[in-house]
Amino acid sequence: MELTICHLYPDLLNSYGDLGNILILKDRMKRRGFSVKVVDVSLGDAFVKEDYDIVFFGGGQDYEQSIVAKDLTGEKKEALRAYVEEGKVLLAICGGYQLLGKYYSTPTGEKLPGLSILDLYTEAGDTRFIGNTIIYNEALEEYYVGFENHSGRTYIGDLSPLGKVLVGYGNNGQDGYEGCVYKNTYCSYFHGSLLSKNPELSDRLLTTALSLKYGPVTLSPLKDYYEHMAKKELRKRYEK
Amino acid sequence: MNGRTLLSILTAKAVLSLSKFLFKGGSSFPGKVALAMDPSVLFHVAKGIPVILITGTNGKTTTANLLAQVLVKEGYRVIHNATGANMYPGITASFIDAFRFREKKKADFAVIEVDEANVKFITQVLEPKAMAITNLFRDQLDRYGEVYTTLHKILEGVDLTKETLLVLNGDESLLGALSQENPKRYFGFSVFEEGGKELDQNADAKFCKVCQGPYAYDFVTYNHLGKFYCPHCGYKRPSLDVSVDALLETTPSSSTFVLDNERVTLPQGGLYNIYNALCAYTLARELGIDKKRILSSFSVQESAFGRQEVLQMDQKEVHIFLVKNPAGYNQALDTVLLTKEAVTYAFLLNDQYADGRDVSWIFDVQFENLQGAVSGPLFIGGDRRYDMAVRLQTAGLDPEQFHVLDTYEAFTKALQKMATEKIYIFATYTAMLGYRKHLHKLGYIKKLW
Repeated sequence: MELTICHLYPDLLNSYGDLGNILILKDRMKRRGFSVKVVDVSLGDAFVKEDYDIVFFGGGQDYEQSIVAKDLTGEKKEALRAYVEEGKVLLAICGGYQLLGKYYSTPTGEKLPGLSILDLYTEAGDTRFIGNTIIYNEALEEYYVGFENHSGRTYIGDLSPLGKVLVGYGNNGQDGYEGCVYKNTYCSYFHGSLLSKNPELSDRLLTTALSLKYGPVTLSPLKDYYEHMAKKELRKRYEK
Repeated sequence: MNGRTLLSILTAKAVLSLSKFLFKGGSSFPGKVALAMDPSVLFHVAKGIPVILITGTNGKTTTANLLAQVLVKEGYRVIHNATGANMYPGITASFIDAFRFREKKKADFAVIEVDEANVKFITQVLEPKAMAITNLFRDQLDRYGEVYTTLHKILEGVDLTKETLLVLNGDESLLGALSQENPKRYFGFSVFEEGGKELDQNADAKFCKVCQGPYAYDFVTYNHLGKFYCPHCGYKRPSLDVSVDALLETTPSSSTFVLDNERVTLPQGGLYNIYNALCAYTLARELGIDKKRILSSFSVQESAFGRQEVLQMDQKEVHIFLVKNPAGYNQALDTVLLTKEAVTYAFLLNDQYADGRDVSWIFDVQFENLQGAVSGPLFIGGDRRYDMAVRLQTAGLDPEQFHVLDTYEAFTKALQKMATEKIYIFATYTAMLGYRKHLHKLGYIKKLW
């Protein structure tokens, strides 16, 4: 089996080790004897939704993010919207998460339009939410750990969160939730890289993408000893 | 000097000697005490001393060390914050420590490395004679955010100066086309045959600071450094005042190159150290030091502590590389990969404030390059050792070979059992400090600071 991962703007959105998420997905496929092709889609490139099984949309520095916002318009934006609506797999982190929403306002008061693919928005905050974070997804009974670092406060309305905040700030520091899930689009503020300590989530993305492509698939489990130890150490450190 | 300043200096001196005795090392606490008693104390203790500031993401400590050593060899009395206490209070403490009430003659120079966000606190108080900016990489992201923010913070400090000579890395695209009118000198590589023309996808500043178009390169030295130009608006690397004109030989522990028409061998490996030498050389020339005397000082330079430091542990030669950010880590890996013999690799990753609380950055380091070069066991320690293990596993290294150890004692014992003569340890800041302390206790390091 093979998956194609589309990496959106890898040359512009490459902060906080988010590239690690792709490296991890690749490695988990490889260890099961499957292969992964990574396609970079950047400035001026077309987004061909049929070609991709997983899309990764990371965050960047403000300067680069503003360049991306100018490029993701018209047909390219609509193709991305259709991809999400079809229920294909997308992982968006931090800036990518914010861009999928209706708008985000900058610390200087500027209101930058987002892609309006998801019904959420982000307001600038006057402090940064920085630190190790732990959340719990009740439906899946899974804990996710990561590191958040954002000044934007994201409000997800009626969308489902990725988890309930146990340690840290989450989307906006108020409602107690982190991230957002819509169909098979997963959004989070977690760096770390997110997938490095959350193999359950990695495999959920892979299983979903493979099943959409090949019909129902069950992945063979991996050992994941270091991943779980990394998660355990953080939970031990912060949970009371 | 009024009574308040006097009391502040005296108290700080008392705290300094006490803390040297108690902690056997530097600390910024005495400076904090002094500043609390007299916020203007730095102005008084630094008065009349020509100050050379060195800032930038990587290479501050090594560059300052190179320059300080040149000046000391010339017979000058030099104030130098050698232990890397580079925030405002630590710098204040260095000046107070060197301050003598009775001596009329002040220090000849102060060579001060300063944290990027602390430049403005220093330039509020004094006008440096010269200020060097080494480079700007993404670093400790949870503290300053991004390279543009870091640049902005430094320039806020520069804006408070007028005459200060700026010594700038010309190969750093963020440092060209500055609006500040200070006199400037640029250093860099005039040629670099080993370099490609393409930036790595994960490089730090790839889009023109003037027009946002992608840069093109005649050559890249590392990360986003190199001979850049913008095909769109014409912004390009400034012409160089001082340059490396040929790279003759590179090994993990030395580099030979032609600088300002002279052949020089630096007893430290790594391109980044050549940049440090370029920076220190440019500064020293501006201070009027003879070319050959500068270079002869460089050729016997000892490593700054924990920076590619080599120490003997029984029969083993232990190399410690301080790694703080992806740019520096990649450079350290590139340097050790020049090694031909079998070596043991070890990794220490901490996540305290001085390391950067967020360990995500290890995924921006190209550990994939170790594939094939590494065969034996790998040793992993530090507060975030399991994160490090996940990273190395993802890089395609064999997890069966990992030894994840939770104490420095276990780490050292395991290393001592290895058959290779050379051991390379990559350590983040507090891990480096902690591990050196441990080795000091075992007697393998004589001088802790």
